[in-house]
Amino acid sequence: MRRTVKITVALAAASLIATSCAQGDEGPEATQASEDICETAEGDGPQIGLAYDVGGRGDQSFNDSAYEGLKQAVEELDATCTEAEAGPGENDATREERLRTLADEGFDPIIGVGFIYSVAAQNVAKEPDYRDVNFAVVDGFAEAPNVANLVFAAQEGSFLVGAAAALKTEVGHVGFVGGVDGPLIQSFEAGFVAGVEEVDPSIQIDIKYLTQNQDEAVKGFENPPGGRAAANGMYESGADIVYHAAGKSGLGVFQAVESAGDGHWAIGVDSDQYKTVGQSQKPYILTSMLKRVDVGVQEYIKAVVEGDAPSGFVTYDLSSDGVGYSTTGGFVDDIAEQLDEYKQQIIDGGIKVPDTP
Amino acid sequence: MTVAPPSETLAPAAIAPPPRAARRGRIWLWLLSALVLVSLVRVLTGAHELTSSGTLRQALIAAIPIAMAGLGGLWSERTGIINIGLEGMMILGALGAGYFTYYYGIWIGLLGALLFGAIGGLIHALATVTFGVDHIVSGVAITIMATGVAAFLAEAYFSGLPGGGPTQSPTLDTPPTITVPGVSDWLLEVQSRHWFLVSDVASAMRALVWEMSVVTLLAVALVIGSGWLLWRTRFGLRLRSCGESPSAAETLGVNVYLYKFVAVTASGGFAGLGGAYLVLVASSGYQNGIVGGRGYIGLAANIFGNWRPGGLFMGSTLFGYTEGLHLRPGSGLSIHALLLLVAICLLVLAALQVRRAQMVPGAVSFVASVGFFAWFMLSDEIPADFTGMTPFVTTILVLALASQRLRVPATIGMSYRRGQAG
Repeated sequence: MRRTVKITVALAAASLIATSCAQGDEGPEATQASEDICETAEGDGPQIGLAYDVGGRGDQSFNDSAYEGLKQAVEELDATCTEAEAGPGENDATREERLRTLADEGFDPIIGVGFIYSVAAQNVAKEPDYRDVNFAVVDGFAEAPNVANLVFAAQEGSFLVGAAAALKTEVGHVGFVGGVDGPLIQSFEAGFVAGVEEVDPSIQIDIKYLTQNQDEAVKGFENPPGGRAAANGMYESGADIVYHAAGKSGLGVFQAVESAGDGHWAIGVDSDQYKTVGQSQKPYILTSMLKRVDVGVQEYIKAVVEGDAPSGFVTYDLSSDGVGYSTTGGFVDDIAEQLDEYKQQIIDGGIKVPDTP
Repeated sequence: MTVAPPSETLAPAAIAPPPRAARRGRIWLWLLSALVLVSLVRVLTGAHELTSSGTLRQALIAAIPIAMAGLGGLWSERTGIINIGLEGMMILGALGAGYFTYYYGIWIGLLGALLFGAIGGLIHALATVTFGVDHIVSGVAITIMATGVAAFLAEAYFSGLPGGGPTQSPTLDTPPTITVPGVSDWLLEVQSRHWFLVSDVASAMRALVWEMSVVTLLAVALVIGSGWLLWRTRFGLRLRSCGESPSAAETLGVNVYLYKFVAVTASGGFAGLGGAYLVLVASSGYQNGIVGGRGYIGLAANIFGNWRPGGLFMGSTLFGYTEGLHLRPGSGLSIHALLLLVAICLLVLAALQVRRAQMVPGAVSFVASVGFFAWFMLSDEIPADFTGMTPFVTTILVLALASQRLRVPATIGMSYRRGQAG
């Protein structure tokens, strides 16, 4: 028994050392990254609550973009804020509890990042205690008078990167890797396919979803090995450009394009991914479909503060610069004119982009 | 891959094991007929992705992490300790690989993964062997804990690094790969002719000589080495005896606790290597959630393989193959072709069962075979919703067919106290 106690103590000590090393080594950088607007903001403006899904900040994409919007709003409006993050294996009841807690602490507006908050926001918003609180859900589908769904016309941005792919492909063969096969990601697929076909209907398009199961978000959006395998297959079978709408699984797509080598491209999603990938992958990122969650969050907060809280579906599309494509890297500069033409036609209604395949 | 014969002392006496040479021959015969069958289906259906070198290579890449977790399961369960914490140990290994590879390079990274996984194994050993905690409870706790610890350490290690973030590491170096120049191009040429049998053999060979990661070779060596160590050495016999009859082992002077500790710690180390493979070869960076349940699948592969290295490796490749095929282009077509394969296999099974005078199972197999054949003939493609299920359906089918022959280590899941023998 005494030996057991010794082992236990030794293990505990070792783990303490490991933790303290971790903090010691990375101290300055860690603080830099967790430099947090909500920890430092002390304004007397509105109190804003932001609730993330599992994973939360640090995805260099969707969630970080929402945070960026929050940050700008806080600085502009002299506001204070708090961030809450979901744990693994949550259900609507725990998400509701999180929203209630935020509301009880006096936060208003409260923004749920991700469609997963739709049901929870709808239920809480209808409860008598919270009828005066303003809720918003990014990509949401909630129905309540005090909930705004900030939705993005992803198909319009995808149309433009699809057109870019069609103009840039040299072999007439492109691909699309999606995360979870559902309405949300299908709108990316539909726009991309429409964009490719607008330029040249004879181009072959490979479509692959990492999972068909709506409940397997991890397998769809946090699965770089899967993304890499799917994209590898497309490059090997002759495609030279692959567009992904698969969250972090897209990192695998970028690894695949790097090993496929020169003459192959990948297209990023949500944020300007050229800026966030490693140095060795930058030469392969043709462009990214931008989904300006930051614009949506920031504008929503401003509207609430001005006493003009929106409700129902608030759509951010090409005309409001809520979606678009990135030009960092300069790989699409030679076709910018054509793309801008398509963009104008979509805004004017000359081209109707479908949101289902 | 070794096919280890049943151990002399522990196999049930009723079934006399056939001579090793004969067993080997029979297995080669099975593999050859499987190859002919798959090739036949490929030619008949035109689903050339079934055996393309890209698919086979992807299958191998998907199989290795599962095989490593399965090997961990083998070591642990052969001493009677159920290790459902493999998932957690893989997560720890993945994180270790990310951290050590970024700062010290690939080889130290692999050692780091081994170390992190082994720490998980050590905790499991401490809980189950020393304190007699229920194996399932401890394993689940370790997995939950590892998820949290990894998320915490990832934030501490990777935040602010270029290309990294609180939930992911920067892009890491890839371990060296081996491509035999000339040969692989020539094999690709043969493969693309789509000849019966010849092209299949060529693409299988190409999958082995084209961008073969050295870590894959290392993993295969570990599977073979484990088979040798556990079935061919005194150490292995003692280790397995701890899982079959710890009282008898202790009476004969074996330090049961020590062997269990060693096996479970090694088990964690193997699982950690599986996590490292995911991070370094299957992808090239650590990412929260990258393990995604492969630890559990590894455990299933171990059961599928009847607690033997050769069997678990075959189980892993089967899982890896269906997973890889699902992600390849034109998977609707290739998985549709698998229907025909299943139909033929069931038909063969029915014939064998009828010959053994097992009329009822034979009839069931025959009806199922006709059903699959009809499905194949009446449809052109399998909806994408089903293709994702293939790995799991295959598992259930195979386990259902093979389960009567499985033999579990006798004292699996039981707690053993020193001196219990009396």
